[in-house]
Amino acid sequence: MKASDKPYYLRGIPVPETPAPGKELHPWKETHVIGKPLSRADAYQRVSGAAIFPSDTLLPDMLYGAILRCPYPNALVKSVDVSQAERLSGVRAVITGSTPGADLKWTYLQGSSTKLFDPHCRFEGETVAAVAAETPYQAWDAVQTISVQYQVLPYTVDERSAIEPGAPKVHQPGNRVGQPEKYQRGGVEKGFSEADVVLEQDYRTECELHTPLELHGCVAKWDGDQLTIWESTQGVYGVQSKVAQVLALPLSKVRVVGHYIGGGFGSKLQPGKYTVIAALLAKAAARPVKLFLSREETFLSCGNRPPSNMRLKAGVKKDGTLTALQFSVTGTGGAYPAGGVSLVDWLIRDLYTCPNVQTEAIDIFTHTGPARPFRAPGHPQGSWALEQMLDALAEKISMDPVELRLKNIPAFSQARDGNPKYTTTGLRECLETGAKTFGWREALQRVRESGRAGHIKRGVGMAACLWVAGGGGPPSTIIIKLFSDGSANLNMGASDIGTGTKTVMAMVLSEELGLDIDRIQIENADTGTTQYATPSGGSKTVPTEAPAVRAAAVHVKQQLLAMAAEDLKTQAANLIIKDGEIVAASDPSKKIKITDVAGLKKRGVLVGVGYRGPNPKNKVTNPFGAQFCEVLVNTRTGEVEVVRFVAAQDSGRVMNRLTYENQVIGGITMGIGLAMTEFRVLDKNETGKLCNKNWHDYKLPTALDVPSDIVSVPVELEDSEANSTGAKGLGEPVTIPTAAAIANAVYNATGIRVTTTPINPVQLSLLLSEAKIKG
Amino acid sequence: MLPNFKYVRPGSVEEAIDHLTSEGARVHAGGTDLLGCLRDNVFGALKVVSINALDDLRGIRQTPDRGVRIGALATITQVENHELINERYKGLAMGASEVASPQLRNQGTIGGNICQKPRCWYYRGEFHCIRKGGNLCYAFGGENQFHCIFGSDKKCCIVHPSDIAPALVAFDARVRVSGHKGDRLVPIEKFYVLPGEDVERETVLEAGEIVTEIILPPIIEGTRSSYRKVRARRSWDFALAGVALALVLKGGKVESGRVVLSGAAPVPWRSHTVEKVIIGQKLDSKTITRAAETAVHNAEPLAKNSYKIPLFKAIIEEELTKIAIG
Repeated sequence: MKASDKPYYLRGIPVPETPAPGKELHPWKETHVIGKPLSRADAYQRVSGAAIFPSDTLLPDMLYGAILRCPYPNALVKSVDVSQAERLSGVRAVITGSTPGADLKWTYLQGSSTKLFDPHCRFEGETVAAVAAETPYQAWDAVQTISVQYQVLPYTVDERSAIEPGAPKVHQPGNRVGQPEKYQRGGVEKGFSEADVVLEQDYRTECELHTPLELHGCVAKWDGDQLTIWESTQGVYGVQSKVAQVLALPLSKVRVVGHYIGGGFGSKLQPGKYTVIAALLAKAAARPVKLFLSREETFLSCGNRPPSNMRLKAGVKKDGTLTALQFSVTGTGGAYPAGGVSLVDWLIRDLYTCPNVQTEAIDIFTHTGPARPFRAPGHPQGSWALEQMLDALAEKISMDPVELRLKNIPAFSQARDGNPKYTTTGLRECLETGAKTFGWREALQRVRESGRAGHIKRGVGMAACLWVAGGGGPPSTIIIKLFSDGSANLNMGASDIGTGTKTVMAMVLSEELGLDIDRIQIENADTGTTQYATPSGGSKTVPTEAPAVRAAAVHVKQQLLAMAAEDLKTQAANLIIKDGEIVAASDPSKKIKITDVAGLKKRGVLVGVGYRGPNPKNKVTNPFGAQFCEVLVNTRTGEVEVVRFVAAQDSGRVMNRLTYENQVIGGITMGIGLAMTEFRVLDKNETGKLCNKNWHDYKLPTALDVPSDIVSVPVELEDSEANSTGAKGLGEPVTIPTAAAIANAVYNATGIRVTTTPINPVQLSLLLSEAKIKG
Repeated sequence: MLPNFKYVRPGSVEEAIDHLTSEGARVHAGGTDLLGCLRDNVFGALKVVSINALDDLRGIRQTPDRGVRIGALATITQVENHELINERYKGLAMGASEVASPQLRNQGTIGGNICQKPRCWYYRGEFHCIRKGGNLCYAFGGENQFHCIFGSDKKCCIVHPSDIAPALVAFDARVRVSGHKGDRLVPIEKFYVLPGEDVERETVLEAGEIVTEIILPPIIEGTRSSYRKVRARRSWDFALAGVALALVLKGGKVESGRVVLSGAAPVPWRSHTVEKVIIGQKLDSKTITRAAETAVHNAEPLAKNSYKIPLFKAIIEEELTKIAIG
């Protein structure tokens, strides 16, 4: 990995540079607001329903859009007849690829151009035509009447058979997405020859579908040649640039608003075809158009965590020194290049000290919906292999699995060019603190002593992680306006995707200026009124935006103190803000309320601008973590109950203890989904279609699948280099080791190594009965 | 999207039946299954006939012969919590408690539950399968991990989705069916139709007929009952494998009783083979092991559901052991 490589959440998005912020601030020595468990700044709006989500948008004269999608995984559209749809009552616009202005180019994530309505539909759910009508029902009825002649072609939907000779080709010349990505350091053969124990194992994780509560979609409205889009998105600027590019509009003519979003886990980093289609329908009908997809449509077309087929060979010495790791992964990003194996090998490359590492990643085209980033892309899959392997190696050399990991803590990033050091490495502390909080040794002992009695077996397991991103960085521009009554506006381009970003930013402002949080109004995620921000993804929003908010607040503060210094007839450098008052440090009797500062009264408002400064040179900022869990397994039926979890996470400074806890619980819940309940089922033998396209058949974990006993343990290392707040990302690392920890606990309980997700009775009852037969 | 239908809410059973004999009419009680089927275009509807104004169809009460009558509109939650049912027909209360999620149990009715449509993803999806008038069961050669191991008749391999019906079969309940020709009482075991008899229907209900009540016979002294369900996640999920037991134990031996499997067949599957093994026997570990082995003896697993063999063995063993202990 080169320093110049763009992280996944910025691919396909132009990223401007912001000015240098001037003098960098040092992280706070002590804080008064930051770190507290404060509820959301917008909690009332969210709970009362006053918050207007994009899918709540209602405009006068608004029409409803619907998309006709190809029902086959591979088909040529020979003809489309919309004449009946056009005649239906309420229908105001019908568009297809042959509609003037709709014959547009479209690129999925990484190049490989296709069309908005491509005559070759390479996955079930590809767009064929669209309708806008007075009501959603009229739009859907009209879509049903569109008559399409398809030439149905052979398909391949399973990456495991898509590279066999004779498999139908997704694209000419074949089903490999470019060359395999290879990485090597040292020599693995030498490493294996030095090892006392060498193990090799195949692993697989099933494909997970994106299921944000708010569906994908938008409302599009034209005022003359000015287009406004209200979209459920993680980043309004990413939507703006893509829409402007596809429609050949100036950026200034595309305004994207996304004040709220009902969940986005990577699938809303980018707009969809639906965004452009909504704009085209609105143009054709000369009316605003609301186009939100159905759940079935999002399952087909809005991305997934790709399936991963992995093989890992590992060597270890008796003393726990890792000597070699050899890894290969085959995956699929679907019908277009979409990172089908992206970052799956990163933990193998970089989590543990190992001199000899070789990885190979093979991405394969299949006739399935393109993947999109999915909370910590690649990492939970790689973790599923690596962390189960570490567990197995530890057993072979009779070493505690925590101990084995502690033996191999890296001091620097081995896989990056130039081997940069981490600004902080909390891996050791996460392992030690997590084990202590969990009572790891005692729990292992209890399992050993519980022995053979009964068919409900207890087991404990653990896994560790790092996250490849999470340091954030420029650009970010924040504007703060402090009004003469002591209230403030905070203007930020970034979205709050439900993680509490707005709350954390208000806390930073409150920390610097001593304002009550409820006196702060936040204006965000609107390309028309805020400054450029990168999309909220990669666990980088707090480390990116919070330092810029702090810089803007300090800019306001400098102006305010200069004004107060005139009032108090002292030096600004002598003044501090305390409890809403400006006080002279040397003489506490010299003080003035913020609202009494003459200069502020006179001017009415102070404006501060803050930029995100550069990251430290030759260093890298990554979060680390370790999770521990306990399970009960019915060894007859394969039913598994997760009893408790402890997550020790090094994400630098805790900005808000309550939203921190939320992230940990959410990440573990999602990890339980990967480990135990979620899997996409494609009808690969007969039709290639998606079988489980509703929330019953596509099984998310329910409240009963998630333990109430989840303990988050912040490992709060002081990071004075990462950025001026000392915070690192949290949202993604918390879901990386969860699944592997559960698999290790199930092994501890049963002696069965479950190498394929999900661990449910379908799989485990069979494995248990086979193990019994083998004795 | 729902189809365009008329909605009526008649005030009497007769009126409801009149409406239901018209073309494209569908009965609506709790609606938890109907709306899903309409939205997924499993079938259409020109008229939706709500029976929710028919208060006679509500309530749970004791019959003069000390049986219990459950109105078709009793909610699953009411069945789950009813004192008489918990006291005497524990297996039925347990079955009700395992249905779906609390919200769905509050909304869904027992009549609807026993008449619900299969959950097979080919049947529910855009596949013109044999049960919808096509000529192919996609599941035989396709994704069949949640399909049946008994009773497919090589035609259709759905499993019956109800957790309540197996318990009702175990208790030998009867279903009152009302239609134009009057009422009839159908033993619930005869209420369901196997694919070999008619692949396009799940029950004996004729057009215009509805279930109005369910009658449980008086409980025989010494009856012990239970329902056990294994699913892929811990809530809001249908049975991978389940077993309803209603056994009469006297003098330490099983005098009579029924063993009914869910998640096993296109209908609640009475396991006569297990009954044969245990009736007249003490429920000792030898008998229990033999019963569990016998249960799956004639099973015909598909490519992806052979896990059901050890799973049924496991729960039958587990539940018979519990019943033996009392």
